[in-house]
Amino acid sequence: MKRNKPLALVAGAALLTLAACGGGSSDDGSTGDDGAKRDFGGQEGGTKDAERQGPAVEVEGATAGGTVTVYLPGDPGPDTLDPTAGWSVTGNSIQQALTSRSLTQYVRDEDGQPVLVPDLATDLGTANEDFTEWTFTIRDDATWEDGQPVTADEVAFGICRSLDSEAFPSGAGTEYSKTFFDGAADYEGPYTGKDPKCEKWSGISVDGQDVTIKMAVPFPDMDYWGAFMAMGPAPLGNASKPPNYGNKPLSNGPYKVDSYKPNEELVLVKNDQWSADSDPGRHQYADEFVFKFNQDQAKVDEIMLSDNSDSQTAVSTALGSDKYNDANGQLGERLVQQTSQCVSTLTPDYTKITDINVRKALAYAYPYQDVWIAGGEVPGVTRVPANSVMPPGMAGKKEFFVDGEQITYDPEKSKALLAEAGYGDKPYPITMVFYEVDPLAVAGQEQITKGFEAGGFSVKAIPVQDSPYNIWLDPDNKVNKKLNLRGVNWCSDWPAGSTMLPPLLKGGAVYNTAFFDEPSINDEMDNINTLPLEEQADAWGALDEKIMTEYFPIIPTAFRNDLFVFGSKIGNPSGDGSIGAPNYKDLYVMQ
Amino acid sequence: MSAETAGPETLGSLSTEPEHQDPNSQQAKEISGKSPMRIALGRLARDKIAVICAIVVLFFIFCAVFAGPISSVFGVSLETPLASERVDGLNKGLPLPEMGPPNGAFTMEHPMGVAPRTGEDNLAYWLYGCRVSLLIATTATIFASVVGVIIGLLAGFLGGAVDKMLSFFIDMFLTVPFLLAALTLAPIINDRFNTADNYGTIQKIALVVVLSIFGWMGTARLIRGEVITLREREFVQAARVMGMPTSRILFKELLPNLAAPIIISVSLMLPTFVALEAGLAFLGIGVTDGVSWGQTILKATNLTFFREYPQYLWQPLLGIVALVLSLNLLGDAVRDALDPKTRR
Repeated sequence: MKRNKPLALVAGAALLTLAACGGGSSDDGSTGDDGAKRDFGGQEGGTKDAERQGPAVEVEGATAGGTVTVYLPGDPGPDTLDPTAGWSVTGNSIQQALTSRSLTQYVRDEDGQPVLVPDLATDLGTANEDFTEWTFTIRDDATWEDGQPVTADEVAFGICRSLDSEAFPSGAGTEYSKTFFDGAADYEGPYTGKDPKCEKWSGISVDGQDVTIKMAVPFPDMDYWGAFMAMGPAPLGNASKPPNYGNKPLSNGPYKVDSYKPNEELVLVKNDQWSADSDPGRHQYADEFVFKFNQDQAKVDEIMLSDNSDSQTAVSTALGSDKYNDANGQLGERLVQQTSQCVSTLTPDYTKITDINVRKALAYAYPYQDVWIAGGEVPGVTRVPANSVMPPGMAGKKEFFVDGEQITYDPEKSKALLAEAGYGDKPYPITMVFYEVDPLAVAGQEQITKGFEAGGFSVKAIPVQDSPYNIWLDPDNKVNKKLNLRGVNWCSDWPAGSTMLPPLLKGGAVYNTAFFDEPSINDEMDNINTLPLEEQADAWGALDEKIMTEYFPIIPTAFRNDLFVFGSKIGNPSGDGSIGAPNYKDLYVMQ
Repeated sequence: MSAETAGPETLGSLSTEPEHQDPNSQQAKEISGKSPMRIALGRLARDKIAVICAIVVLFFIFCAVFAGPISSVFGVSLETPLASERVDGLNKGLPLPEMGPPNGAFTMEHPMGVAPRTGEDNLAYWLYGCRVSLLIATTATIFASVVGVIIGLLAGFLGGAVDKMLSFFIDMFLTVPFLLAALTLAPIINDRFNTADNYGTIQKIALVVVLSIFGWMGTARLIRGEVITLREREFVQAARVMGMPTSRILFKELLPNLAAPIIISVSLMLPTFVALEAGLAFLGIGVTDGVSWGQTILKATNLTFFREYPQYLWQPLLGIVALVLSLNLLGDAVRDALDPKTRR
């Protein structure tokens, strides 16, 4: 899942993460002298509860009424509210929690862990033996904001829409529906394929309240994919035609769209047709949610720390690193640290840097702490050392270390490894890019260059003014052809290794900028998808360890965390472990 | 940039005669026998503001020229340190107490402290930033005024079709929005040269070219106007009658009479370019390697840093303000000194 930030910030962050990578010393949590020891809102691989029924468990002490204002610093928000088109942390976190229901959903349990529970379906779906056919029974008491019931036909039509990759080019359906659903490859979708009733796609069938989806390949994670709002209902016919539907989608959650100005503001008000009994996960405490996009970070920080009447009922989705100490000291529980299930990596070109010792030398020559500090991160808080690709808490993740302990900055060790690989006599040349428009990215690159040179490398850092992703992902780019070190930031779409390892390390994957391509590993990835469900998580974890210890094709530099700030009158300040956003479902305004 | 660096109305006119004076007065006797330049220099030397400004400007020039030696005297350098050795990542990225302000006492190792987040030495960056600033502004001023003077001379003296054509070019360049052009050019330069080893130098040359291209029109217009009045004067007519070649008339007869407006436009162009260089660096175009006052200001304009460590912002800011202000005042003083109508 992508991070919805403006180009410059993403690119800067990308470089930093590219630069700012995993290893580093092992101070975790905050060690600020005036701050409380802070626990990470983590997620430990998602449990499931197929039996959960509405209404959702009441939040202790919650009161109704009030308006929650959410500031999103430096975040332009979603371009469209069409549930099928959404594939960003910002848009999905808001809509899935408040307006757009789907087959399944996550709730936060008492320990802060996400639990997958039913939503529009009565359970988490029933699969056949080899996960090639999934059946969901749609509940009969869910309603649209106009009072009409949500029907199985509408759910089927919504799912069918996700196959239209031309109408929704940036939707998550282009990745998952298109890959896994039977016959999806040949079906252009209801709009592009001129099939407004979705009659030409045979992969889905509706029988009473049952929706059955056939898969082209085994898809054991369908219940997780069902938590995306793209796997929800859409009104039949012209009512949901894109792009107009994206301005004011019909809501079926506890809130409905009152007004929406892209990149500026989204106002959600109570949907009086939503019935709490039909929904196992959502609440309807506040009267109104106001989302303010593209806010200035420094301004929002001042508002949130001032605790004035504006900020008491407000939430901010980010905190400037320079404010961390003040916030940590002043805010207590109202500053929430949430793992965003993202990893930052450096990817040495597997076809050019062929010796594993050189790749390990890079990992030892990378000054983790220094790059984080120079790049404006708080070491141990917004960036923590990483040991492998799978983020902490993901089901099956193993706590192993490639060399027995966490790799940290150690230029002597780097030199020794280079000597072992036969490059001891002269510096090993590294060519990489950095985003020169952002001074933080430039400062981060200077630290990397410094560290690499101390570790026995010679660095040619090419300044670019385009997003580094545009360089790394373009095979014809003349700069890209010269690089032997790249980087990627990747976040999981659901808590399974299948959304982390194959996109980064399978031969031919778009974001596999290391060009790592080992047939045996590729086969193993294909095999894991066919394993029994309960063995898959451990298999991904084992594969993660195997790839890292045997090949070390990718240098994880950091796991990323988000900081959320809640006003003093916002009840139940917490993060949503499934997506890296505030836990909108359970917020309320103290009266 | 499209504004003229100096307009004729502020200059006084050299073509009009000085007001009538009694040739036997004390003042007139003093002046007689001195060249106009001597008179002007004498006036400048008596102008206290001009002298102070000249000293300030000389100080900056000294810093720029000897940035290297001064740095080594203080034992500082541009070299990037490991950030964690000098700043505290858990304390807002501010410098460690032993590095000096804001959390510690002044230290001779880093006389102006170190930068938050990166720990780079402020004195070294200030000195080399001064050098970059003056180098770019001076070079651009030289190019812009040479081009401006030549175009202005030709347009004014030749007149007719040549004047029309050159005036058209002047107007055309005045219509191009400077900032937009600079913003467009930065990625093009980057795309073309980013793999070159001397990218930093190319970037600075490009900046000089951009500043010159958009800086010569004011001078050209000014000179053209002056030449148009001068070319009808008797000494020029006489030279023509004697059959002197045009180039000789231009450079031997006209140019010396234009010294005053040229000096004035140069002295006002310099501070403009200093400010522009910093402004562009602040916007992230122009110099991007961090060694520029504008880039330091960009890093320092952060509410937390300003509240806790205001020196970090004040250092480059004072540099720019002092340099631009003294260059401007000095320019004004030169104008006053050269203008025969000014009497103080």
